[in-house]
Amino acid sequence: MAEVSFHKEIESLRLGDGDTFYGEGILAVTKALLQSGVAYVGGYQGAPVSHLLDVLVQSESLLADLGIHLETCTNEAAAAAMLGASISYPLRGAVTWKSIVGTNVAADALSNLASPGVMGGALIIVGEDYGEGASVIQERTHAFAAKSSLWLIDPRPDVPTLVHAVEKGFELSEASNTPVILELRIRACHMFGSFPAKDNRAAPHSTRNRIAPARFLYDRLSHPPATFRHEADKAERRLPAAQRFIADNKLNEQLGPDGGDIGIIVQGGLFNVLNGRLTLAGLSDAEGAVQIPTLVLNVVHPLVPDEITAFCAGKKAVLVVEEGAPDFIEQGIGQILRRADLQTRLHGKDLLPMAGEYTPLVVGKGLAAFLGRHGRAAAPLDRWIADVAATRAEVDKTLDAPLPPRPPTFCTGCPERPVFSAMKLLRQEMGPVHVAADIGCHSFATFAPFSQGNTILGYGMSLASAAAVSGTVEKRTVSVMGDGGFWHNGLITGVAGAVFNKDDSVLVVMNNGYSSATGQQDILSTKEAQDGRGKSLDIEAVLKSLGVPWIRHVRTYGVAGVVATLREAMRSSVKGLKVIIADGECQLARQRRIRPEMERKAAAGERVVRTRFWVDPEVCTGDHSCIRLSGCPSLTIKPSEDPLRPDPIAHVNNDCVGCGMCGEVAHAAQLCPSFAQIDVIRNPTGWDRLRRRMSAALMRLLGAPRDTARAPAPSLAPAE
Amino acid sequence: MAEMTPIKVLFAALGGEGGGVLSSWIHAATVASGHFVQGTFIPGVAQRTGATTYYLEVVPGAGDRHRARGTRPVLALNAAPGEVDLVVASELLEAARAIQAGFVTPDRTLLIASSARVFTIDEKAVMGDGRLDQARMLEAAHRFSRRAVVADFAAAAAAAKAPINSVLLGAIAATGVLPVPADAFRAAIRSEGKAVEANLRGFEAGSAIALGSDPKATTHATAERQPGGLPPSLRLDAFPAEAHALIASGFARLADYQDEAYAQSYLARLARFTARPGVDASFMRELARHLAVRMSVEDVIRVAQLKLRDTRLARVARETRAGVHDIVDVTEYMKPGPEEVLGLLPPWLGRWAIARVSARGWESKSWPLKIKTTRLSGFLRLKMLAGLKRWRPRTHKFAQEGAWIARWLDLIERTLAVDPGAAREVVATAALVRGYADTYKRGLSNWSKIVDGVIEPALQGRLARLHFADAVLQARLAATKDPEGETLAQTIAAIRETLAPGRMAAE
Repeated sequence: MAEVSFHKEIESLRLGDGDTFYGEGILAVTKALLQSGVAYVGGYQGAPVSHLLDVLVQSESLLADLGIHLETCTNEAAAAAMLGASISYPLRGAVTWKSIVGTNVAADALSNLASPGVMGGALIIVGEDYGEGASVIQERTHAFAAKSSLWLIDPRPDVPTLVHAVEKGFELSEASNTPVILELRIRACHMFGSFPAKDNRAAPHSTRNRIAPARFLYDRLSHPPATFRHEADKAERRLPAAQRFIADNKLNEQLGPDGGDIGIIVQGGLFNVLNGRLTLAGLSDAEGAVQIPTLVLNVVHPLVPDEITAFCAGKKAVLVVEEGAPDFIEQGIGQILRRADLQTRLHGKDLLPMAGEYTPLVVGKGLAAFLGRHGRAAAPLDRWIADVAATRAEVDKTLDAPLPPRPPTFCTGCPERPVFSAMKLLRQEMGPVHVAADIGCHSFATFAPFSQGNTILGYGMSLASAAAVSGTVEKRTVSVMGDGGFWHNGLITGVAGAVFNKDDSVLVVMNNGYSSATGQQDILSTKEAQDGRGKSLDIEAVLKSLGVPWIRHVRTYGVAGVVATLREAMRSSVKGLKVIIADGECQLARQRRIRPEMERKAAAGERVVRTRFWVDPEVCTGDHSCIRLSGCPSLTIKPSEDPLRPDPIAHVNNDCVGCGMCGEVAHAAQLCPSFAQIDVIRNPTGWDRLRRRMSAALMRLLGAPRDTARAPAPSLAPAE
Repeated sequence: MAEMTPIKVLFAALGGEGGGVLSSWIHAATVASGHFVQGTFIPGVAQRTGATTYYLEVVPGAGDRHRARGTRPVLALNAAPGEVDLVVASELLEAARAIQAGFVTPDRTLLIASSARVFTIDEKAVMGDGRLDQARMLEAAHRFSRRAVVADFAAAAAAAKAPINSVLLGAIAATGVLPVPADAFRAAIRSEGKAVEANLRGFEAGSAIALGSDPKATTHATAERQPGGLPPSLRLDAFPAEAHALIASGFARLADYQDEAYAQSYLARLARFTARPGVDASFMRELARHLAVRMSVEDVIRVAQLKLRDTRLARVARETRAGVHDIVDVTEYMKPGPEEVLGLLPPWLGRWAIARVSARGWESKSWPLKIKTTRLSGFLRLKMLAGLKRWRPRTHKFAQEGAWIARWLDLIERTLAVDPGAAREVVATAALVRGYADTYKRGLSNWSKIVDGVIEPALQGRLARLHFADAVLQARLAATKDPEGETLAQTIAAIRETLAPGRMAAE
């Protein structure tokens, strides 16, 4: 089950005419899909679009009512291929993933989908993971749209506009027989807002009313010679059809006064940022009443040349506000202007940066430069830019030191942390080892205090990325992969390839039971449960069937055992791939399960043992070597009470879930005797109390002060 | 169009603190109060305890107006520097980050910030004290805001047994920066329906903080007080008065560590420096502090002694929030290595045994022990170890430590003759030798590298006197920042470059 429960949201997906939907952007898009009569939905999870699938997975009865087929795909390639249903059938369908990475994975299927084109509307909802908060390489989805002839919608970040974009996206797709990408930036996905809901629409053909198999039609295959006809059809028929639809339906918005000697062309997704700066410059207001002609491109590919020339004609200059590189839109506009022989001066990346997120300050500076260049300098905007710089300089002077970053890290009690502690210990013993890192929570091991990993080549790609390294570098390489990455791609790309090529290297598979980083979605090896989609598939059995010669399981919290197993893998005489399956359930998922259960038991008067760890403040010398091997958020520092030793000492705060990792590290690294495991027994039984009294009496007899002898207890199993 | 001006709100928080829920409470309460609101956030992987932000814009009274006219405000999804009315930070560094980004400005921003710190890994990992200067961050909070409500919201949340987001909501409500009555926020908490009682408790606690006139800023000064149990005969007149409290603490620590005679030897070692030129009160304080710590090195006997402290279990129970009827069980994680165990032997035997062990490559062998001190068997084992205290002066470890201290004091004495400023730095190098097992060995080896690579050459006059103190400081900081790594080697190599080849007179 996913990290978030969408109890309320599921209800709002059922809203109809006359209701108002309140919610997150990505859920508004989900609702819009239902209002658009989709027959199928699929995708692969990833921020910022995970919630689309998560909420639908939890909405089984709603999907059944509407006859929608839902597929949680094994990867984005599968999701893109799923859109093949719309090639031969008039079925509307939508898939979703995180871009650019998901689009890269989907690329092969996307090309083959785009070539024959679609009959039913096909919508690809991508979370454009760009700028602050992004976790992937910074590239633009736009490139895929351009090269495969897919249309790209980049709507204004306003909830009703997003909903409208979905509905019109399907129509555009059908009008031009072309799949359409709806691109949503991170903040747009997570934007809370409202829109007037409509009734959901069941598709004419769906799981409830199945359609007859299509007859054979060679031109629906992306296979020569049809591919040559497709290429021509894209240019000669589908593109003009799309441009006509965009113009007729006014998908792009021209705002502000007609005429004027300067204008701005902006991606829909950036309009709100631009409007904020225009407002400051006295050229707009909070309702978007811009006083400078502005063309808002809600569809950024294809451009409609007539719209562009009509907008630019008679203007001295236009500014294109387009985020990221390359400057596809600006280049397109430049070509349109040149061809139309318009002498409008084209500004864009000359005044705005080629790289990086277009934040208010960035756009403000570009806008100020543009206005200044054309004699329209706005004093408040210029003053603001100067003030921001002055304030920042003042603040830096006051703070007098750079502020340390706070990157994300493994959660308290995470089962993956001990593996990286073990790897760090082994590194101290063996010297540097080439570590191929991967995508997933485990990529946090690249941050301090672990600072491990030589490459990240994509999701499930670690082992494949180590192939040549393992053949050319002195020591065996270690590749790390999550179970999510394993099923997504790593099994075939990595394991099968390494076995086939007899690569002599080590792979650690983090078997935490979920696709954790994306929000704990179920995967094939997730334990089968009533409310989940897991299939309890055994990773070891799969590896064996592929012929992996050396497989070990380790319990991750046993740090010494992990070190020993890693050492064995590095030194084993067995040639070929050696796989360590590191078992430990995602702690977030585990806590969500056991915490309410513990609370219920304690309230009901049942015996409950709460385990946590503790650092003895008198024994701790404040060297913090435990922290350098752990990085656990609950293992922190606190002021020393000892005037002779004023440096802060290590301290376990009350967020500790008692995983025992810090104690195990102290043992494995032979760090210090400061750690203690504390078991607090609530509602002790009569036997607990009797033992306590007996031990206490004996200890007092042997000279223990009263207090020390107070709390004997029975032997207890620590938390898993 | 003044009525259209949105109120802009930025939250700076850590992933997992419930910033999303806080936003949704504000959403619900503002919508219910007839306003227009739009908000967003950037969770991504930051939800895994990284820094993250939430941003909201509220257009007062615009809900109905817009419904009637069919128009909608165009609200921003990013905060713009200099244009934020309310910044809420659940942690002080995140407040400083928002201030540094320019989101807090004296002309308009109300800042609600927790003075509590959640230390970053960079601060925690330093051997020694890597914490940021809290006072500067607090100064920035007050200086750059229109009004600052700074208090320990984390402690307030703990006291109210409520999540911190509800406490912050209470503070927001009480400041009145949003045109939303407190009851609308309470209603939002109720309609959210989760942990309603705890959240309402937190809400009231937060309101009380914001309404209170005096924002409390937390300070963590270590109180210096005369320790109890000192012999009435203790005479410290020979030492500067400002050093008395520390020296008395050191005396008490060593009397507890061994006996009063041993503590007297501490005073004797210190007395050697009283009349030296360049030794003032602050020098004596530092020397007294480091010497006391180094003379009470944590051998296995000391560890056992500390773990049997009679106040310990009560402390554990308090810190782990155990109830009065709960049973608390303590399991110690101990893993003495051969050097620690063999260190208990007499010097001649210990030296021989340790040499044998390293010849066989058994240095890393050790005995993992999990000892339940709340049970008889565990208690007895520690009791026996602690009972070796009287034997301690005859152990190999004790002799080794004594030799180290003698060498260190000798270096200080020689350096004093050259440059008292550098001598202070030599005193401070003692802090590098601490911890247990490998940490201790690494510290010792780093210290020796500094002595051989910097201090001795400087004492031989091969380093300009002008640079002596700074070179020792740089080397010590390098070893502190990166106790395992390369930084120290690089620093010493750089210093070596500047050394004069043979002996020459100090400038």
